[in-house]
Amino acid sequence: MSLDAGLAPGTRSALEALLLAMADDEFVIGYWDSEWTGIAPLLEEDVAMSSIAQDEIGHARAFYGLLGELTDRDPDTTAYDRPPESFRHCRLVDHARTDWAFTIARRYLYETADAVRLAALEDSSFAPLAGLVAKIQREERYHLAHAEGWLRRLAVARPEGRTRLLAALRTLAPDAATVFTRLPDEATLVEAGVMSAGTADQAVVWRAGLEPLFAQLELPLPGAAADPATGRTTHSDGFRWLYGEFTAVRYMDPVAAW
Amino acid sequence: MTDPLALDPVLPPRERTHLPHNDARLSHDERYRAFEAHVQAGGKIEAGDWMPDEYRQSVLRFVEMHANSELMGVLPEREWLLRAPTLRRKLALTAKVQDEVGHAQLLYRVAEDLGKPREAMFDDLIAGRTKFHNVFHYPTYSWGDVGIIAWLVDAAAIVAQQALRDSSYGPYARTMRKICWEESVHIMHGRDVVVTLVNGTPAQFELAQEALVRWWGPLMQMHGPRTPREKDRDLYWRVKAKTSEELRQEFLGIYVDRIRELGLVIPDPDLRFDDADGKWHYTEPDWQELRTVVTNHGPRSQARLDFRRVNLEETAWVRRAILGAPAAAAA
Amino acid sequence: MPRRAPHLEPYEVFRQEKDGDPMRHGGSVMAPDPELALHYARELYGRRQESTRLWIVRRADIGVLDDPDWLQPPLDRSFKKPGGYVMREKLGQARARTGRPKGVPGGGHSPARDEA
Repeated sequence: MSLDAGLAPGTRSALEALLLAMADDEFVIGYWDSEWTGIAPLLEEDVAMSSIAQDEIGHARAFYGLLGELTDRDPDTTAYDRPPESFRHCRLVDHARTDWAFTIARRYLYETADAVRLAALEDSSFAPLAGLVAKIQREERYHLAHAEGWLRRLAVARPEGRTRLLAALRTLAPDAATVFTRLPDEATLVEAGVMSAGTADQAVVWRAGLEPLFAQLELPLPGAAADPATGRTTHSDGFRWLYGEFTAVRYMDPVAAW
Repeated sequence: MTDPLALDPVLPPRERTHLPHNDARLSHDERYRAFEAHVQAGGKIEAGDWMPDEYRQSVLRFVEMHANSELMGVLPEREWLLRAPTLRRKLALTAKVQDEVGHAQLLYRVAEDLGKPREAMFDDLIAGRTKFHNVFHYPTYSWGDVGIIAWLVDAAAIVAQQALRDSSYGPYARTMRKICWEESVHIMHGRDVVVTLVNGTPAQFELAQEALVRWWGPLMQMHGPRTPREKDRDLYWRVKAKTSEELRQEFLGIYVDRIRELGLVIPDPDLRFDDADGKWHYTEPDWQELRTVVTNHGPRSQARLDFRRVNLEETAWVRRAILGAPAAAAA
Repeated sequence: MPRRAPHLEPYEVFRQEKDGDPMRHGGSVMAPDPELALHYARELYGRRQESTRLWIVRRADIGVLDDPDWLQPPLDRSFKKPGGYVMREKLGQARARTGRPKGVPGGGHSPARDEA
């Protein structure tokens, strides 16, 4: 299936919802993590975290681009020119950056979830998506290695590193599974072969994947998402602040060239 | 007098090599003269070599101020990191600020290998005992600042940095070559932002023009007051190769035309190139302002140093956690 | 065996610019262990796709040899270098004897070209 081939209307709108969710996830986590540029705990680590944040925004740009080919809008317009309520990122990434332990915990939960999501798309019948996913997966290997390394380091750093990590995991637990919030009309995506498994099945795979490392490090496994129906539609004050920041200059003149 | 603990070389000193200044059998005076001759002839000094105290102090002070400037220079620009108006500008600005952090890393490494630990350098910076360049003590007000800083402040810096690529201190010279290569992208990004603004709406043009008016004074002060060649010890030791005035002339020679061709007005009515003496003439920069600012009495000096201090305090637990913690559980 | 607590130490980074190039020293990173040193080397010396390979070595593990007695011993070793074989006069004598100035074409050239 290519962009030109006829997509059934139901499939098309479900696909747009999927792409928007993925784009918004990468956009928001990329923005939060980019805040560490210049203020990370170690100079060398500062450069590393910034690269990862830039990668996420690059992925967002690619997803907005793919979405834009379906909706005939350019990526910047899709990303920036809309109200905050229209964002469809998951609650896991909605939280502010907070401290290093929070950032690492959230990165690890997100990267592992995203890996499962991407795996469900790597043989997508929608060829442009399969192609993009293959490229993104290659970049994500680095992200996962980095996040896992830091999770391990903090988990064994007694008392302070571990205490902060446990507190972060506690705060994030109710929202960790929101990456797998059921998408509108997602059954049509599975039927059409766009996605190989539904979000509920992906969540099971994800949690099973976390188990060995979390058991080894004696970390609590996150459970099901609290309030799953609103997993992608409620946004915090922290996000509203971020929205104000990333629209501040653009909204001086949204139609001007910047 | 050198504090022996602060400047204890971290790499084992060579005792007997083909370079006379490294020959421990010679007297201090003989080694000093040999060192001078080596440097004056264009020879390079490496981290493990014997150095006169004066040379070691000069290089360390020079490199440390440069490293501090990269670290502090991050702060005005990162205020705009979240506010970039397009995805591409967001990526470009984040990458640029990341590069400044990377440059701080490279430069602090050079200084560390001269014997001063990173933590000591951060302490001295925050306590005001060491300095950072004037331009990073000023506020930013708009996206216009983002363009002007990335273009012209970086341009003025690169003029100085290119002249350091042949520094007598080997590790610094090599680092400067890497930094110059990386900086060239920043200037292009900055110029692109400014050209886009001047080609845009009247309000956008005004962002660039207004920022230029505020930044011109600090830019002209940036390379420092004129000092006679004979009195400049950093020139004598070939740590640097050009005088302040040579750098300023070079900057003006390249950038005045590039600024004017965009329709921007430089706020110095006396700025002109004189064909008779082949030099740019300009209103004398306010050297009192420069002195005030670099002694940490600039508009944002204390706020930014406080920001750094708080950031180091807030992230100290991470460094404690990974240094001195037992080895992470094996995979 | 007692393990030293992790501490920041320098790791030297060598990089290969493109396929076939030799490894060249790029600089160093501070890291608490080899795993993070790998990440940091990639960031400082490879994030712009400017390297095709990196070697990351703990500085403390590098053996340094700069002893002049080992590397620049004083007695004659010119027999080990091309510059130690100056044959201009001898070849001149041989050619004068055979009546064959340098570069005359026609039979008898030795396969190896000489530099006299």
